[in-house]
Amino acid sequence: MKNPMNYLAQNNEVEIFQHAAENHLPVLIKGPTGCGKTRFVEHMAKKLERPIFTVACHDDLTATDLVGRHLMNKDGTYWQDGPLTRAVREGGICYLDEVVEARKDTTVVLHPLSDHRRVLPIERTGEEIIAHPDFMLVISYNPGYQNVMKGLKPSTRQRFVSMSFDYPSPEREVVIICQESNVDKDTAQKLVTLGGDLRRLKDHDLEESASTRILIYTAMMIKSGLDPKEACSACLAQTLTDESETIAAIERLIQIYF
Amino acid sequence: MEELVGEFWHKLITKRVSTEHSGAKVNLTDLNSQLAPFYRALGGAPGKVIEGASARELKLHRRFLQRVAGTHRRTNIAWQDERSVRLPPMHAIFPDKALNEALYFWLTALAAQLPTIKHWFVDNQHATLDLLKSKPGLASSYYALVDAILPLRPDLDKLEGSKLIREQAIQQALKVPGSVANLPKASGDPDPIFLWLYPEPIHGVSIDADDELDDSDVENQEEQAEQLKGERKEAKRTNDSKETDGLLVFMLESLGTWTEQIELDRPQEEDVDVNAAAAAEDLDIITLSRQRRAQSAKIKFDMDLPAPQNDDLAVGEGHRLPEWDYKRSSMLQDFCLIQPMLADDALPAPVPDRLKMVANQLRNRFSALNFQTNWLRRQTQGTELDLDSCIEKISDPNDQLEKQNFYKARSRNQRDLSCLLLADLSMSTDSALNAHQKVIDVIRDSILLFAEALSGAGDPFAIYGFSSIRNKQVRFNLLKNFSEPYSDAARGRILAVKPGFYTRMGAGIRQSTEVLQTQSTHKRLMLILSDGKPNDIDHYEGRYGVEDTRKAIMEAKRKGIQPFCITIDEGGNEYLPYLFGDNGYAVVSDMTRLPTLLPKLYLNLTGQS
Repeated sequence: MKNPMNYLAQNNEVEIFQHAAENHLPVLIKGPTGCGKTRFVEHMAKKLERPIFTVACHDDLTATDLVGRHLMNKDGTYWQDGPLTRAVREGGICYLDEVVEARKDTTVVLHPLSDHRRVLPIERTGEEIIAHPDFMLVISYNPGYQNVMKGLKPSTRQRFVSMSFDYPSPEREVVIICQESNVDKDTAQKLVTLGGDLRRLKDHDLEESASTRILIYTAMMIKSGLDPKEACSACLAQTLTDESETIAAIERLIQIYF
Repeated sequence: MEELVGEFWHKLITKRVSTEHSGAKVNLTDLNSQLAPFYRALGGAPGKVIEGASARELKLHRRFLQRVAGTHRRTNIAWQDERSVRLPPMHAIFPDKALNEALYFWLTALAAQLPTIKHWFVDNQHATLDLLKSKPGLASSYYALVDAILPLRPDLDKLEGSKLIREQAIQQALKVPGSVANLPKASGDPDPIFLWLYPEPIHGVSIDADDELDDSDVENQEEQAEQLKGERKEAKRTNDSKETDGLLVFMLESLGTWTEQIELDRPQEEDVDVNAAAAAEDLDIITLSRQRRAQSAKIKFDMDLPAPQNDDLAVGEGHRLPEWDYKRSSMLQDFCLIQPMLADDALPAPVPDRLKMVANQLRNRFSALNFQTNWLRRQTQGTELDLDSCIEKISDPNDQLEKQNFYKARSRNQRDLSCLLLADLSMSTDSALNAHQKVIDVIRDSILLFAEALSGAGDPFAIYGFSSIRNKQVRFNLLKNFSEPYSDAARGRILAVKPGFYTRMGAGIRQSTEVLQTQSTHKRLMLILSDGKPNDIDHYEGRYGVEDTRKAIMEAKRKGIQPFCITIDEGGNEYLPYLFGDNGYAVVSDMTRLPTLLPKLYLNLTGQS
C-alpha cells in the first residue's frame, strides 16, 4: 500500500475479523455498493500485515482464473499460479469481491479451502496444497440485488463467518468524506444530509442509494474547484438514475443545499 | 339574450377582480412527478400522496367588487392529513412562473418538515426556521417568495385597529420566522398565507366512534375511513342513527316478530344527480352518514357467479388442492377446488396502438438477451483455437491422442430459465386509479408488455390470472401457457382480462407451482403480481390467509421454484417480508409506472447467469 489506509470502524467489525483470522476461519462480508467493504478488507490486511490478493469477480470468471493455468514460453509449457493459489501457498488474504457474479464452478474450489481441511486440490497438476497458516479467504457480495439467477448456495454460506455492512452513520460519514477528499466540514455535512435524503428514495424512485463512495467523489470534485451544484448533478443526479423526472427532483434537492 | 348578457357580465366582473396571473400559471399535475420524490427525500412519509386540494372557505374581508363578482369566497390553501399532502391544484399567485413553481417546492418541503400542526401560527414559523437553517439553498427561494408575497398582502396603511396589529404580526412572522409568539386576535380570518400549511379542516373525518354499538370494531372503521379514497372534500359526519331508514331483516313466515334491525344507509339511486361532481364542487361540506359502518361491513354479500353463457369456459372438472390451517397446524387435504378457466370468446387481437411503440422497444431490448453469446471451450470444431486446451495437451504426457478438442466456438446463451406470471384479478383491481384508468387497466397493460418483452427474450413463459370465491371455486384463468407460442390469440385473452372475485392466494400459488414443475429448466421463476393481502369471503383473511400463502410459498421454494412478488399495495412492507423474505418482493408505489417497471424488474431479477 502506497498511501496509509484510513478506515473508520462502523461497529465491531475489526474485532470480529481479527478473531476469524486467528482461528483460520473464512469471512463473508455483505453490504450495499460503495459502503466500504473493499476498503475494510484492505485495511485489515494492513493491520494483520498480510498480503492481499483481490479478485473482482465477473460472470466469465472460472475456477481456472482463480487456481491457475499452464502457459507457454520458448522452453515449452509451465504452470502459472492464479491469485487464489498464490495466497494459499504464500499466505495472505484472498479477497473475492462480488463473488456471486462468478461462475458456479468457482464455489466448488472454495469448499475444501473453507472448512477444516484447508487444502486446495489442483486437478491439472495433481497437486494438493495445504494452506499457509496466514491464508485467509474473504468473499463479499451485495444482497440488495434481487437476482434469482445469482445467490450463494446455503452450503457455501454455511462455511463463513458473516458480517453485514451498511452506510456509516451521518457523523462518521462526515469524518470519512472530510478525510478522503479534504473538503471542509460544512460541505461534507451538506453532502451527507443530501445523501441521507437520497437514500430515502431507494425502492421508490431509485434503484440504488447514494453510496459513501459516490459522496466522496462528489466532495473531491467540489474540492478541486467545480461548482458544488454541478458536481452534485454530475456525480449524484445523473449517476443514480436515468429517469428525467427523478433527475429533476434530485436537482431540486441539490438546490436546497447548495 | 338574458343568458348572454349574464355570461358577459360574469366574465367581465370576474376578470376585473381576478388576482391571478394566468400567464404564469403552474399546474400541480405537471410538477407532481418531481414533488413526490422531493417530498420523500426530505423525510415525508413514503406512503403519502400529493394531490390537489379543493378550495376552502375562509372568513375573509372581500373587496366590494369581489363580493359583487361572487369570487374570493373560497381560497386554495395547502394542508395535509395522514393520507395525503393537499396542495392547490394550480398556482398563479405570482406574475413570475419560477416563483409559482418555487412555491410548490417550498410547500412540499414544509409538509415534510411539519407532518402535524398543533399550533398553526407557531408551528409554521418554527418549521420554516428549521428548514432555513438546515437547507441553505431553500432560504434564498423562501426570501424571494416572501418579498414577492408581501406586496400582495393587505396594505398596512389601509388597516386599522386589531386587524392592523394582526397583519403586522403576520408580516413580521413571514419576514423573520420564529420572531412572533402569538397571533393577535381580530375579527374574521387573516388573509391566506400561501407560504404556510394549514391544519386539516376542522370538520375532518373523525375516527372516534360516535356510536356506542361499534366501538368493538375501531380498526375496521379506520380501514373504512381510509377507504374513502379520492375524497377531497371536507367531510362532516352526521349521526342519523334515528330509526328512520332502518332495514328490517326478517323471515317471511315470522312477519311481525322482527329479529334484528340493521341500520343501513341505502343510497337512493333515483336521486343521483347527473351532475353530482359539479354539485360536489360547489358544496363546502359533504355530509356523510357514518352510523353502523362497522356493522354493515360485516354483512358480506357473495358476488354471484356470472351465468355460464357469459362466463369463461371452464376447462375440465378442476381438481382439488390442500390448504394450510395454521390454527390446527395441519393441511386440509383436497380443500380448494381449482377451476382452470379459458376465455374462449376472446378474439385474437394485436397490440393496441397506444402500446405499440413501447412493446416494440421492449421486444428489441429483450431480444438482445437472446443473442448474448459466450464461448464454448474444448470443442472439436470451432472458429478459434482454444489455447488452454492446446497447452494442456502439450503439458500433459498422459493425455490420450484421440481427444482433439482444440477449438472454441461461439454459442447462443442458454438462459435455461422459465417464468410464470401469476396476476391477482380480484375485484379490488376494479377500483379507479385516476380519472381515466382503473387498476385492472394498468395490470392488463403490464401483463401485455411483460409478455411482449419475454417473447423477445425467448425465455419460456406462461401467464395466469386467479381469483376465488371461497374454496369452492378458485378460478385459474389461463392467459398463455408454456407450450403455446405467444400470438394474437394470447394477446386477445390478456386484453379481455376482467376483474373477478377474491384473492385466495395460497391456492393460486400452489396451482402455479404444479404448472411450473412441468418445466425442466434449471431455474424456475414465479412472479406474483398482487394488489393486496390474501383474502376471501370466508375465514380466508387476516392471519389465516397470510399463513396459508406463506406455506404455499415455502412449498414452492422447496420444489426449487423461486417466487417473487410485485405489489402495488403501499402497506406491502408490513406483511411481505414475512411471506417472501426481505429480498423477495418489490413495492411499486406509482402504479402508472408498473407497465414499464415490470419488464425492467424481470431484467434485474434474471440478469445474465
